[in-house]
Amino acid sequence: MICALLCVLLAADEPARTAPPTAEQLRFFETNVRPVLVEHCQKCHGSKKQWAGLRLDSREALLRGGDSGAAIVPGEPNKSLLIRAVRHEDENLKMPEDGKLADRQIADLVRWVEMGAPFPETAKTGMRSRDPKHWAFQPPTEPQIPAVKNTKWPQIALDNFILSKLESAGLSPAEKADKRTLIRRVTFDLTGLPPTLGEIETFLADDRDDAFAQLVDRLLASPAYGERWGRHWLDVARYADSNGLDENIAHGNAWRYRDHVVAAFNRDQPFDRFIVEQLAGDLLPAADEAQRHAQLIATGFLTIGPKVLAEVNQDKMQMDIVDEQVDSIGRVFLGLTLGCARCHDHKFDPIETADYYGLAGILKSTRTMDTYTKVAKWHENELPSATLIAMRTEYEAQLATKKKAVDEFVAQADKQVREKLAADGAEKPPEKLETLYPDATKAELTKLREALSTLVKNPPDYPAAMGVSEDKVVDLAIHVRGNPLKLGDVVPRRTPPVVRGPQPPQFGPAESGRRQLAEWLTDPQHPLTARVLVNRVWRWHFGKGLVRTTENFGLLGEAPSHPELLDWLARRFVADGWSLKSLHRLILNSSTYQQGSLASAEVVARDPENRLFGRVNVRRLEAEEVRDSLLAVSGQLDSTFGGSLLKVKNRGYLFDHTSIDLTDYTSRRRSLYLPVIRNNVFDLFQLLDFPDPAVPSGDRAMTTVAPQALMMLNSDFVMQSADELAARLLAEPGDDDQRISRMHVLAYGREASDEERLGNRVFLTKIEKSVAATELDASKRRRQAWSVLCHVVIAANEFVYVR
Amino acid sequence: MFQFPISRRQALKKSAAGFGSLALASLLSETTSDANTIDPLAAQMPHHAARAKRIIFLFMSGGPSQVDTFDPKPLLDRDDGKPLPFDKPRVQFNGTGNLLKSPWRFRQHGDSGLWVSELFPHLAERVDDLCMIHSMHGSNAAHGGAVMKVHTGSDNFIRPSIGSWVSYGLGTENGNLPAFVTICPTLAFGGINNWSSAFLPAVYQGTALGDASVPSERAKVKYIRNSRLSRELQQLQLERLSQLNREHQSRSGPEASLEARINSFELAFRMQSELPKVEDLSGESKATQHLYGLDDPVTANFGRMCLMARRFAESGVRFIQVTHNDNKVQWDQHADLKNGHEKNAREVDLPIAGLLADLKARGMLDDTLIWWGGEFGRTPTAEGGNNGRDHNPDGFTMWLAGGGVKGGLRYGSSDDYGFYAAENKVHIHDLHATMLHLLGLDHERLTYRYAGRDFRLTDVEGNVVSDLFA
Repeated sequence: MICALLCVLLAADEPARTAPPTAEQLRFFETNVRPVLVEHCQKCHGSKKQWAGLRLDSREALLRGGDSGAAIVPGEPNKSLLIRAVRHEDENLKMPEDGKLADRQIADLVRWVEMGAPFPETAKTGMRSRDPKHWAFQPPTEPQIPAVKNTKWPQIALDNFILSKLESAGLSPAEKADKRTLIRRVTFDLTGLPPTLGEIETFLADDRDDAFAQLVDRLLASPAYGERWGRHWLDVARYADSNGLDENIAHGNAWRYRDHVVAAFNRDQPFDRFIVEQLAGDLLPAADEAQRHAQLIATGFLTIGPKVLAEVNQDKMQMDIVDEQVDSIGRVFLGLTLGCARCHDHKFDPIETADYYGLAGILKSTRTMDTYTKVAKWHENELPSATLIAMRTEYEAQLATKKKAVDEFVAQADKQVREKLAADGAEKPPEKLETLYPDATKAELTKLREALSTLVKNPPDYPAAMGVSEDKVVDLAIHVRGNPLKLGDVVPRRTPPVVRGPQPPQFGPAESGRRQLAEWLTDPQHPLTARVLVNRVWRWHFGKGLVRTTENFGLLGEAPSHPELLDWLARRFVADGWSLKSLHRLILNSSTYQQGSLASAEVVARDPENRLFGRVNVRRLEAEEVRDSLLAVSGQLDSTFGGSLLKVKNRGYLFDHTSIDLTDYTSRRRSLYLPVIRNNVFDLFQLLDFPDPAVPSGDRAMTTVAPQALMMLNSDFVMQSADELAARLLAEPGDDDQRISRMHVLAYGREASDEERLGNRVFLTKIEKSVAATELDASKRRRQAWSVLCHVVIAANEFVYVR
Repeated sequence: MFQFPISRRQALKKSAAGFGSLALASLLSETTSDANTIDPLAAQMPHHAARAKRIIFLFMSGGPSQVDTFDPKPLLDRDDGKPLPFDKPRVQFNGTGNLLKSPWRFRQHGDSGLWVSELFPHLAERVDDLCMIHSMHGSNAAHGGAVMKVHTGSDNFIRPSIGSWVSYGLGTENGNLPAFVTICPTLAFGGINNWSSAFLPAVYQGTALGDASVPSERAKVKYIRNSRLSRELQQLQLERLSQLNREHQSRSGPEASLEARINSFELAFRMQSELPKVEDLSGESKATQHLYGLDDPVTANFGRMCLMARRFAESGVRFIQVTHNDNKVQWDQHADLKNGHEKNAREVDLPIAGLLADLKARGMLDDTLIWWGGEFGRTPTAEGGNNGRDHNPDGFTMWLAGGGVKGGLRYGSSDDYGFYAAENKVHIHDLHATMLHLLGLDHERLTYRYAGRDFRLTDVEGNVVSDLFA
């Protein structure tokens, strides 16, 4: 099923180069150049053979060349022997020997040399496939705090790690950002909302030394913090309010999981405990009803993934669901692509098929589904409470009443029939008297029975949560090539032995083993869980992780840019009791975080992708932030907390063959609360890179494409927000200059410059003039002009980017 | 993932067609240096000589029956009502009873003598252009999985659509239009995943015109029009927007992502003037409108989609999908086969024949590959009160036309009753590989590295069926 294409990993010696290649260039290399080199060149010029003394498997080797000299001259394809050879320009040098490359392949090689021949750096460890000594499988080290030259810059040890790398590259960090920039940056970062005018003024006026730390504390304490950071977790947890895939039916109770996550983040629940509850909350003791509910709801993590619910082959459906769970646990907690090992040993990581089925047995022993007949039903745990008991009692009473009504009616009617028969002198009444009822009586009875059956078919929606419970405990046999019909050896449940540090748990016959798995994951000695998590937190603050592949710490993931810092943060996080808020404080109160976004031309040229964190990345707001900001500045935001906006009942179809959209996105609540519908994510979100809610994602994409601009220019929502902002400004006292100033502060968190004030005034006049012919009412003209201006202001780059 | 800023220079290069407005002229005087920028949608050289430049996929949602359309089975007529003389598949969708003969008569047509049932009288006149594959098979008996398999090559993972792969492989011939459009797609059965770029960069995402819930007359690209502002006002707005953005940039310093966003507004403005022109069918002659059946309420809806498809093809779009998806029954005749298939066939027969004729007359059929089919076929055995057929992924018919395939060819066969693909079997993966080949793309080399692995449309499968090539 999941079948990796064999790709050859090559050891490349570290090449001498000024600027590291950009991700885009590397993508080009991996997609268009490496395959050509591997397929057509390296059989004779690679690690095994070096004909004519030439290797073509690292940049350095290409530069060193062979008997005829350097193979490439970066930037100069016409001077590069490699290019001349593949072009067959020289009679004596035509390569490859088995036939000329396709024109496109040659063109790609030329383009690559023109780019300067970017080649990814890989560690010098030789073939790295399945290496059990891979850094990520070893417990975190206890790194020394590096010494730095500029001792004034670091505020905390974290800064030493960043600065020492910059210094050894001969670079300096950016200047500190100004206070306006900082409050805008950190407010969006922690709450997903722009700072209000009052908040900006308070912070600007606060000249205490620890004003920024105070600001961070205030933001961490605000409920909006959980709404923003809980959403990060929901990305990872592939949260959605519908199943997606083939049968797109409603996850009517998913919102409880969402609200649980937000609450857990807001109260800074120790994250090890949070993780244990995600996997095994149903198995943990609870002090009270609220805790019991929270723990049951937390296990929604395991159930909320997409499932092929109309799969006709039930064994396959069950194993597909287990697979989705194993794969998600791998990506989310371990940063490993375990799903690869369903059909064959992992091609690159030391994960065997047996390891996969060792984990799969735990999930197979877990009850995720109630039925597997199409359309299959996922399991939900009822949330026992006085409300539930009352609802049930009430329902049962109603049932009893309706049933009694039917029985009494039948008894009465039977009696009348019998009496009539007796009166008519009939000898023996038939067994079923109903056939003899008068028509009106029959109709009445049908009505009563229908009322009863409607009630039977529609029990109330008892408070319940998507989640799991225990099932029959089993150990699974290996499914050969993933095929449930071809079974191999039975593998006792187990954790992957390649992970070093924590004691491997014992799995008994009494429990599925989820609890043991969760405890193993959160063991302080575990090499992956804390690293994966702190790396994501870093990614969410800085835009890129220390390990850029946030869900892949395996051999094909990227190596950390600052391995010591990653270990230092992971250890510190565990030592601080897995407190996320402490981790935020640590990061935000650093000089690294408080840098400006402007770097010298030299820094930009030498570190174009900002791998050394010598400045802060300019960041486009995420989809939810764009919408929430529009609502906030136009005064429309409804900040009600929690609950469901889904209009379709639990397990009802969001989309069927009619393709009619049954979801309503007109609410003015925060974006977090809009239903997340798989297969048809809200288009405004989709356009702005909301992640696919079917797979765990800790690293949202950030694209810039024309359809986003069309949406900003033409969507009713954006125009309406502009209009509301205009109304808000016009309703306030003062002159146009004051309004323009206020508009700028609201939208951008800063005063308008004189030039901008003038420009905007001229623009207003222009618009009023241009609509004069069609709009005779002067006040309406004015409102329209302001609305058009506000539209421009919120469509502008400054509104959607933070520095 | 990565972003691909489109530089101003490249945007200008691509905008030779259609950029008449001076609205943004002030912006365009600036230049930037960006030697290393790779424009993801620039027209790409194919891997080998291409036979087709574009694909039009006529998707028959629900699964039309092969034994009632293009694959006649005399034994099915003879043994009507008897049990199937061999085993049914281990996994079935609903389960079926005995054999059910086709209610329609078949006849041979054209020089090639290809068989077509009475359901498609107009298409029958064009059989010499059709390349029939009677041995198609897939792997999923449910709509969701099967629809995703046909569109993305995978029935249980989220993978890029074939249209996204084609855009990624070939770029576009018209920078003012998306490379991949889908007209009135169904939102069920995988929904947007069927035209999404998944892990490929977002520029390769299909652009939808409406969806299956709206008539094609109202099928427009979302946000392509402004409901409130005149074009003149929008031009003023864009001028002011560019001023604000420039002032912002002078404060924040050079930054590729800010630059890219400025460019995206320019492109959006061009798309906004170009796209509606393609969508607008009013300039088409009466004769052409008649050819596609726009003057008949039965055929007008699908006819309009087909005519739009031709216009997109002419404008340089690489992959155009048209979906026939009746809101009530689609082609999914579990019961009442007679009425359902008759209604559906009436709606599509004439427009498809019209599209083929029109493309041919314009000399475009040679480099436009037409692909017709559903997500699976139907069982020759009966379901639903003995007058319907169940899903059948184990043997069905699809046809291709134009774009380098042999017209009038009958390729592969199903068994005597039309249940299983028998000779020269063609899996969905094989068909994908074959179509990519016709576009000049090698399905084994059209890869994208994601999460540490090189992915392809055909996963580790797929054989090019070169017997189909003209």
